[in-house]
Amino acid sequence: MRNRHLLAITAAGALSVVALAWSACAQAPGPTDARDINPPVANCNVISDTTEDPSDQTKRVATPIDQKLLTSGQPCHQEVRGTGLVSDVLGNLQRGFDFYSWLTFIALNSPADGKTIGQGERPGGDAMTRWEALGNYRPLADVMLDKGAKPTWGTRVVPDRCKPMDGPGKIILKLGEAAWNQPFKTGPLIDQNGNYALFDILMNKPMFDFIEQNGLYSKQGQERFDKDIIFPPGTRPGPQNNPQGKMGAVMVKVSWRILDPDKDKALIGKFHTADALIYFPGPPVPPGTKTGPACVEKTLGLIGFHVGHKTAASPQWVWSSFEHVSNAPDAKQVADKDLHPPYSFYNPACTQCSSNHTPPDPWDPPESLKFHSDDRSQVVRTKMLPDEVAAEVAELNRGFRALLKGTVWENYALLATQWPSKADSKTDCNGAPAPTFLANTTLETYSQGVVPLASSSCMACHGNATTQRVPATASDFTFILEKAQCENGICGPPRAAKEPAQRKCGFTVTP
Amino acid sequence: MTDFTRRKMLGVAAGTMASVVGSAGLPETAAADDAADLALFVNVSAALTGIAGAKLAPTVDPIQIKHAYFQQAKSDPGFEPLMQIVRANSADPAAAADKIMNGPDPNIKFLGRSIILAWYLGVWYEPAVLAQPSPPVAVPPLKVISPAAYTQGWTWRVAQAHPMGYSELRFGYWSDEPLPLNDFVNA
Repeated sequence: MRNRHLLAITAAGALSVVALAWSACAQAPGPTDARDINPPVANCNVISDTTEDPSDQTKRVATPIDQKLLTSGQPCHQEVRGTGLVSDVLGNLQRGFDFYSWLTFIALNSPADGKTIGQGERPGGDAMTRWEALGNYRPLADVMLDKGAKPTWGTRVVPDRCKPMDGPGKIILKLGEAAWNQPFKTGPLIDQNGNYALFDILMNKPMFDFIEQNGLYSKQGQERFDKDIIFPPGTRPGPQNNPQGKMGAVMVKVSWRILDPDKDKALIGKFHTADALIYFPGPPVPPGTKTGPACVEKTLGLIGFHVGHKTAASPQWVWSSFEHVSNAPDAKQVADKDLHPPYSFYNPACTQCSSNHTPPDPWDPPESLKFHSDDRSQVVRTKMLPDEVAAEVAELNRGFRALLKGTVWENYALLATQWPSKADSKTDCNGAPAPTFLANTTLETYSQGVVPLASSSCMACHGNATTQRVPATASDFTFILEKAQCENGICGPPRAAKEPAQRKCGFTVTP
Repeated sequence: MTDFTRRKMLGVAAGTMASVVGSAGLPETAAADDAADLALFVNVSAALTGIAGAKLAPTVDPIQIKHAYFQQAKSDPGFEPLMQIVRANSADPAAAADKIMNGPDPNIKFLGRSIILAWYLGVWYEPAVLAQPSPPVAVPPLKVISPAAYTQGWTWRVAQAHPMGYSELRFGYWSDEPLPLNDFVNA
């Protein structure tokens, strides 16, 4: 028993070394101050969606979607232009951002050990991804710690209840309310097997370092921080004091469904999976759970993948949304009876089921993570993209999914990328998001649509995020700071904060 | 010279918004509209409203509200005669606007008024209702053209304000003076 435990620790340590080694390789710091929270990155991906037509320099042709893209690295910044394959400036920019999103998806979902995406050891070439490795990304629950404690980069926080089940390669998912309840507390998502879908948020090191070095990991720390919250942006490699480019702050939000290793054996090769320890912190609620403390082990399948990346030209961040192709049909497919079951969140046989409705109370998950009634989510993807954008994304998806054929990753598709079309606007602090609406069927199930404010828009929603200061101040498009707890568990009266220096928008944008 | 005071514009807007939101407002597609007529419609809209065409329909425009207004106007029987004037004066939209608003055909004139109101308020007033010499009620029947139109009315911008329940400004903006008019209308 003792030997097995030691082996596990050794293996975990080796994995950490590998993960850290990859991190060093992927984001090799240049000759900068060790405290530089946004260090230069050695291999920023600068491939754009089009290249100059060799036979006619006035035209551009599509960049081939080929093997070269699988190892081209993560973009530090979007490479987009108004000229391209169509006459419409907006359409060319949108395609550039969508191409950027696919490059980002490939880079982040490549194996943590440095292999090429789809060449992992598990079925479908699956492997622990780069964003799951602690050397690269850190879960929100390990940043906003109990009692506002200072987090440490790279350390793995294993709750006592989970320690007996822990082992190499396992991820730990702590069940705060945000791990099962959708934005604006609109309710949980229940799959066709009656299991809760689970959600997690992670951040990269520049984002972590900004929080850690400025003391924003506690409520009082936020009150002490008397400046505007401005996370570091990604920058493209350029000749002016920045030959390598910088990655900037990146947030990842993922959604999972529970897979049964036996009953769902046929499905496992179609999903990116993770062996997870689900931790129920127990009362008080919130931030804990009604049940617990407890820890249960589950195999999770990735169903949704969001990336938010702050870049110099997009201070409102760039928002990429992917999901598993078997989550749910879209409204047209339902109307046309063009269905391709099985779906994780739609039952074709249930013709009387109303779609996209929230499940009945109570919502808090029990330790089984099984919903208390027979109610199942009947999810239908609502049309919200302009036809031109939908067609362009579908074309890119065909190319990239073909490139990933034979791997688990061929089962994921981009929904679209939302980006600020007028980033320096003084009167629209969200920068005129394009497209206006964007929702993932697993992460914004109940707010799909095209009604301003009521329907999901990454930037319009995140533009409302604030710190916990009194009076509250904008938190630069992240709700992460809302999760900070009080130092030593003592909240006390709010410290009188200085008025924020800047409430107006009109961001400084670096082209 | 039109008087754009905040109080006046907010008063008009408050009256018009207390109504029913129109059609679902799904993103319209450029393919559905005749590109040449749409461009002419934007040009004459600029002349009618006094707002530059590049502001009404920017080159990079994710909302594309022009399609919703074009489609709404197109449903009126006066549209084709109105467009005949616009096409005949394609090089001079101001002349077209003058003929629309001061010409003898009330169907065209009041459609012109409806188009102006659509751009400013995001709301459609039937030209036939506007043509009545004495409106039967204080606030004529209307419909909000789409959810997007609700947020896109130029009245909010010239009033240095935002639609009720919808703001794109930064948290806490309400305790500051409004931004200069120029930031709204020339942004």
